[in-house]
Amino acid sequence: MLVAGPLKRMLSPLVNPQVFDFWASHLSPTLSWERPLAKVLARRVEARDTVTLVLRPNRHVGGFAPGQHVSVTVSVNGVRLTRSYSPSWLGRRRMAITVKKMPGGKVSEWLTECCDEGDVLEIGPAFGDMTQPSLERPWLLVAAGSGITPMMSLLRAAATLERPLPPIALLYWARTRADLCFGRELDQLAARLPSLTVQRLLTRESVLLPEEHSGRPDETLLRALVPDLAAQQAYVCGPAGFVATVRTLLEGAVATCQAEAFSLPDVSVVEGQPVQVTLARSGRVLSVPAGAPLLAALEARGERPAHGCRMGICNTCVCGKLAGTTGDLLGGGLSQEPMGAMKLCVSTARTDITLDL
Amino acid sequence: MTTAVSRRPLSADEVTRFGAEIDALRERTLADIGDADARYIRRIHAAVRYTEILGRGLLFFGLFPPAWLLGTLLLGVSKILENMELGHNVMHGQYDWMNDPRFDGKTYEWDIVGTSDNWRKTHNFKHHTYTNIKGMDDDVGYGLLRLFPEQRWRPFFLGQPLYAVIFALLFQWGVAIQDLRLGAYFAGRMSAAELRAQFRPVGRKMRRQLLKDYVFFPLIAGPFFLPVLLGNLVANGLRNLWTFMIIFCGHFTANAEVFPKSVLENETRGQWYLRQLRGSSNLRGGRLFHILSGNLSHQIEHHLFPDIPARRYAAMSQEVRAICERYGIYYNTGSLWSQFGQVVWRILRYALPSKPVSMEGRRLVVNE
Repeated sequence: MLVAGPLKRMLSPLVNPQVFDFWASHLSPTLSWERPLAKVLARRVEARDTVTLVLRPNRHVGGFAPGQHVSVTVSVNGVRLTRSYSPSWLGRRRMAITVKKMPGGKVSEWLTECCDEGDVLEIGPAFGDMTQPSLERPWLLVAAGSGITPMMSLLRAAATLERPLPPIALLYWARTRADLCFGRELDQLAARLPSLTVQRLLTRESVLLPEEHSGRPDETLLRALVPDLAAQQAYVCGPAGFVATVRTLLEGAVATCQAEAFSLPDVSVVEGQPVQVTLARSGRVLSVPAGAPLLAALEARGERPAHGCRMGICNTCVCGKLAGTTGDLLGGGLSQEPMGAMKLCVSTARTDITLDL
Repeated sequence: MTTAVSRRPLSADEVTRFGAEIDALRERTLADIGDADARYIRRIHAAVRYTEILGRGLLFFGLFPPAWLLGTLLLGVSKILENMELGHNVMHGQYDWMNDPRFDGKTYEWDIVGTSDNWRKTHNFKHHTYTNIKGMDDDVGYGLLRLFPEQRWRPFFLGQPLYAVIFALLFQWGVAIQDLRLGAYFAGRMSAAELRAQFRPVGRKMRRQLLKDYVFFPLIAGPFFLPVLLGNLVANGLRNLWTFMIIFCGHFTANAEVFPKSVLENETRGQWYLRQLRGSSNLRGGRLFHILSGNLSHQIEHHLFPDIPARRYAAMSQEVRAICERYGIYYNTGSLWSQFGQVVWRILRYALPSKPVSMEGRRLVVNE
């Protein structure tokens, strides 16, 4: 890298990171003073509407454990948007994310359809607790749809371990065969790892191949596929409804159960109904009426955010929104994205929200 | 200075409909904002960087007069672009929707001696909320000049043609001290301790800017210290004159109006729009002129829509003008020279005493 270690510390009072990045990006698109960036080296179609992107991260991209998520930021129609994906390491300084196009999903649509070799993505810090299970007990990995991606990361990492592996059962649900990802790679893994069994379950396929199963998760099916259920460490990942079902079935029946669902946009609440505003910096949680101007509502609860014109022009009351759905009193639109700047005086909370205050 | 311009107050109903039409234009434009606007501001940002490095580079060969001249001009253009189309517009939050920290209105720090934080207060809040309201918008004469007959004359104003020239040459310094309320200090309404506390961030920024342009860059030029220092001085001076001209032409032309505080009582959105319109004036010119003025040549549209990307103003101005025609509202526009002539006339005329003009009862709206 251009500037590293002690030299960087020495230079830092003199350098404006943004000016540095502007000129550095002329040399290499991922060269940056401090931003974690990754260049897309390759893209391949993994399944229907699903693409795997092979990335070369710069040195500011932090580590992650298999099974964790990272936030990926891209610019779609001029707006920087962030979503979480489960990355895998593919050897040194190569990582992969697999993205399925979600209906109406701006980021997944951009990543699957527009993103190409040479593009640069920003990669945030890793989070998530579904990291490698203990090697002392059998693993039960239950995935549906894109829920396969953290499982894949765990399996790829497991395949590189020097130690003997416990029995691993992967139950992988998809609608049809065309929606299944990592077909050949999973077969190869199963051939290399004698302890791994892969069960594919299809809910909308009319004709099944010999090794495929059908049906939605229920107790009979689970007991049939996994004989010694009680001994398992179970990991579940998939859409919220699927995860809730499987979790109910497994909890109590297995030794341990960890689950993660893709969060779906929350539904707007009724006008005037109380919603919770969490102020991230002060740690306060306040209840305000949904649909009320946030600045006035916060002031009524004793907060004193910076403000100016109270009519949406002067930008004094802008603050970041970290989570939740807000409404715009001037334009009338809803926003479900985390945003860096939102005017409190002309915005309303439509769900529980978190503000950078 | 009264002209044949119609100052007919609109009926309450007309103002409501007028406001709704302006709101609809705002909505239509916002719905269309996206990639093209993001690309534009990134290009402006790149243009600032390229002109700066070229200008500073050429100044290192400043002993050769054409290099000095071109270097100085390029650095001046870079500073003007950074000040107007980039800094000013970004700080209005025009590009906040991009979620890009480089173009974040709340944190952007520009390349002038004034701090961005002070500017966000004096300009974004005070000037844009209380546009041309005497006693509330500090930009009306900047506490230094008498530009409207509604301002009370004092013998001090006899010297204002001279103050105006000094102010124009040192404009960024005027902006830097605008929020310090030196007037209050000299009148004994603010303690020295309070002033010192307020001055601390301002002084830090001033020192930083002075070191950059008059110590750091001249020093790294070694034997060419002097031409680099002079080039930087002239580039800063050019920007001062240019921004002074554009800003004064935006609000102090012959037909720009000033308002009493009473207009704020129960002011509706439509009334607010109407006040912005009647207090602002546009400049005609080509595309490059609009970019170099930060699109403040579309001062009317900037005041109606301060948070919409300024590159949209040119198209919006067509529609605003058509709306104004429908309601018989005067749309103040002219060439730079004619508008600047009117500004100069105001500076000279109101240096001298004039019949006091009362704003009592001045209204934008009549209730039927």
